[in-house]
Amino acid sequence: MSTKPGANWVGAKFNRKEDHRLITGKGRYLADLSMPGALHLVFVRSEQAHAKIKKIEVSAAKALPGVVMVVTGEDIKTKIKPMPQPVVQPALAANYPKHWPLAVGKVKFHGEPIAAIVARDKYVAADAAELVRAEYEPLPYIGDPEKALADKSNRVHDEWPDNVIFQMTFTGGAEAEKNDAEVDRIFKSADVVVRQRFKTHRCGVTPMETRGALMSWDDSDGLTAYITTQRPHIDRLALSDILEIPAEKIRVIAPRDQGGGFGVKAPFYREPMLVAYLTRELKRPIRWVESRQEHLMAVSQERDQIHDIEVAASKDGKLLALRNRGVADCGDGCEGVYWGFLMPFLGCVELPNAYDWPIGDVKLKVAVTNKSALSPARAFGEFPTRFAMERVIDMVAKKCGMEPADFRRKNVVKHLPHTSITGEYFDSGDFVKVWDNLMNQVDLKGFRREQEAARKQGRYLGIGFGLGVELSGVASELLVPMESQPGYGAATVRIDPRAKVIVFEGDAPQGQGHETTVAQAVAASFGIHPNDIVVTTGDTGTTPFGSGTIGARAGSYFVSAAVMACTELKRKIARFMIHDLKVENATMDDFEFADGDIVFKKNSNIKKSFREMVERIIMAPINMPAGESGGLEHTAFFEAAKPMICFNADCAKVEIDINTGQFKILSWTTSEDVGQIINPQIVEGQMQGAVVQGLSNAMFEQFVYDENGQQLTADFENYKLATAADVPEIKVTHAPTPCPHTPLGSRGIGEGRPSSVPGTISNAICDALAPFGIEITELPLRPNQIWQKIQAAKKKAAD
Amino acid sequence: MNKTVKITINGEVFEQSVPVRMLLSDFIREVASLTGTHIGCTYEGVCGACTVQVDGEAVKSCLMLASQADGHNVTTIEGLAKDGKLSPLQQAFNDHHALQCGFCTPGILMNMDEFLKVNPNPTDDEIRTGLVGNLCRCTGYAHIIDAVRDAAKRAR
Repeated sequence: MSTKPGANWVGAKFNRKEDHRLITGKGRYLADLSMPGALHLVFVRSEQAHAKIKKIEVSAAKALPGVVMVVTGEDIKTKIKPMPQPVVQPALAANYPKHWPLAVGKVKFHGEPIAAIVARDKYVAADAAELVRAEYEPLPYIGDPEKALADKSNRVHDEWPDNVIFQMTFTGGAEAEKNDAEVDRIFKSADVVVRQRFKTHRCGVTPMETRGALMSWDDSDGLTAYITTQRPHIDRLALSDILEIPAEKIRVIAPRDQGGGFGVKAPFYREPMLVAYLTRELKRPIRWVESRQEHLMAVSQERDQIHDIEVAASKDGKLLALRNRGVADCGDGCEGVYWGFLMPFLGCVELPNAYDWPIGDVKLKVAVTNKSALSPARAFGEFPTRFAMERVIDMVAKKCGMEPADFRRKNVVKHLPHTSITGEYFDSGDFVKVWDNLMNQVDLKGFRREQEAARKQGRYLGIGFGLGVELSGVASELLVPMESQPGYGAATVRIDPRAKVIVFEGDAPQGQGHETTVAQAVAASFGIHPNDIVVTTGDTGTTPFGSGTIGARAGSYFVSAAVMACTELKRKIARFMIHDLKVENATMDDFEFADGDIVFKKNSNIKKSFREMVERIIMAPINMPAGESGGLEHTAFFEAAKPMICFNADCAKVEIDINTGQFKILSWTTSEDVGQIINPQIVEGQMQGAVVQGLSNAMFEQFVYDENGQQLTADFENYKLATAADVPEIKVTHAPTPCPHTPLGSRGIGEGRPSSVPGTISNAICDALAPFGIEITELPLRPNQIWQKIQAAKKKAAD
Repeated sequence: MNKTVKITINGEVFEQSVPVRMLLSDFIREVASLTGTHIGCTYEGVCGACTVQVDGEAVKSCLMLASQADGHNVTTIEGLAKDGKLSPLQQAFNDHHALQCGFCTPGILMNMDEFLKVNPNPTDDEIRTGLVGNLCRCTGYAHIIDAVRDAAKRAR
């Protein structure tokens, strides 16, 4: 038997197994599920950003026919244990704000839940919500993170000494002071120093399906909770702790179909806690389906960071040292698992990107403010730091008189494995190969000639580059300290007596195509067809423990666990073959699983069908090899020895109309190292979608709070997402190096992929506007702001 | 206040007394139990996930009341495949990996189904413009364009 699984299905184009139900309207998303007698829950949310709650008048709401229950924070604060609870609290030193699902004492952001209505009809519930009257005593709005860090008198959380939720030095380890002194010394003597402040706006990756929950209670079985979630197993433990229900009496099920997540469905949020509590109280099923307005007020907000970056380089263009002082605005921080600050934390870990820094001094402070807590968004925390890094690299290259492309190639990490100055481990890959592949696609020299000719005609063309080293799964080494959760991937592979295979996974996909990708890997392993494989995810009642669909875990950890489980089962089948057919001089590696047969490689006349062997082992467990038992099921846990990565490089070409500041993306080309591809279309789809999300974030989306903390962008009219007409064609190319640490050589991909986009597009715009000396240092990229920069540059030149 | 409406959905007649304020999208999802029509925005008609066809014309069902559809023929995503056979457009979406989470997909299919009837030979720019009423968060749209272009080609 070959332990290296057959490669025929691995890398093959194969139409997704998920699609048929989804294109015929038979998908089952949270809002499509029903339970007899289910009541509807609607939240009443704060109209103020920061205020003492004087009174919440609910009598009119309670009196409305059809209303079953109305609760406020005062009603529940003695009934539900407050957050934080250990299972959703990182092992990092930080202030963890105490909170309940409904505001108690004061409100801390516009949109915080203050009451909940449970009614028999959702229209009635909405009517009742309108009848709730809250009286507030306004408090000063805390909206600027830098001011919040400095101001101890006006605090978001009264019980804290200040507004600092988290601060950290990422460099130098135990010798941070000595390290910082060395960085100071290098900056004093360096030929080239660039200092710049970079700022990114609040935006995120709001999924098309909002959040929701549908739960039922049974006195003997306990709680059954359908939740839109990326991490059902963690939700189960957290609900157990908060509501003091034994964990074995809680079953959390992430619906088979979820309408996108991108990180937004990964935290343990307040709303499902309350749905669970009331379901138990009323002993009746309750459903809550979040409105888009609630969603945009309460979650999906990320990227709100400021970075003061300094880079020292030699005049021949070698990076010498990096210094960064980061500040992040994490909102009120009341959010299980992430607490708003884990995103900027990881953003700083990933700040060095693919560059070979000899030394650095990276520090971060995170402030709480009267805004919604940051919730994760794909390119978790690093969208801002990649923007800053890719921009500053161009600025340094320019100061060294070098082509930014040449500067990148010179300074990219050449030898892997590599540990970055912030301690991030890069396991494998070939960054130069990926870079050179990109350069072969884009004809830089030809573009420079075209650019020069165009400028003579008054046309402004530009080219920009960006890199991204991204997590391929999240190793326990990082996930245990960061989120108090294990990083391993787990899969149970069960072969049924009819030789079909069922794979159980505890994570919860939201469109990534796990059913197909894993089916292809398992099909290759057993030499059967992907249609003979069923993948079941997200049900804590049937699946092995998993920390969730996060950080590109599928192509790295989950697939690897499934392949490992298959390998164990193949060994068992081979032992039965050797025994039953009395094969002499055979080892388990001498059998090939292909085309539904198991063949002895040294004599192909000795074979059995996969189905025959499966039936024999499961249904006829007599006359067995010594020490064997019947049945074919195995659970495997995969963890690589060290964290793993994937890598990409982007190139954008743009043209800018300097009379309006409007820009057009002429082309977008990528070069990717995703390791061994399992399904090429799914990989391509991840890349296309990620680049467009990055563009949409960089160009269109922005959450806006006014001077009183009123959130002004709570619908898709005001929070604009990119449409099909707004985005360019994207050419995705590959320069893969198989990962040596996974059974298939695959890498987890997609999560971090948007991160190189804002720097790439900004660099292209700055390159086009080089005659004006314009440097973009803030997002979003608005034509009117580009126009203003052009006007300012023209005025400066004229003066 | 209730009103009795008679709406034909995918050939099946639903005659029922419903609140006059009931949205057509809720009638489809809750009265007819056809949950392929999705709600992705706050009923402002921006996301397009609830797009159905009323008398053959693509409309956003969250922007219509059920009572306005009284006496009309509605086709939802569940009515697009005929006799269990996918329409060429549906098949093209599968072939080109034009969906990931699939939440926006029914609305896109109902819109593009009508679009191709009106414009059987669209350019890529026309397809992109035809899609501005449908938001997709996963795909970046490229594979959707490929699928619509290919469906048009297959129909010729």
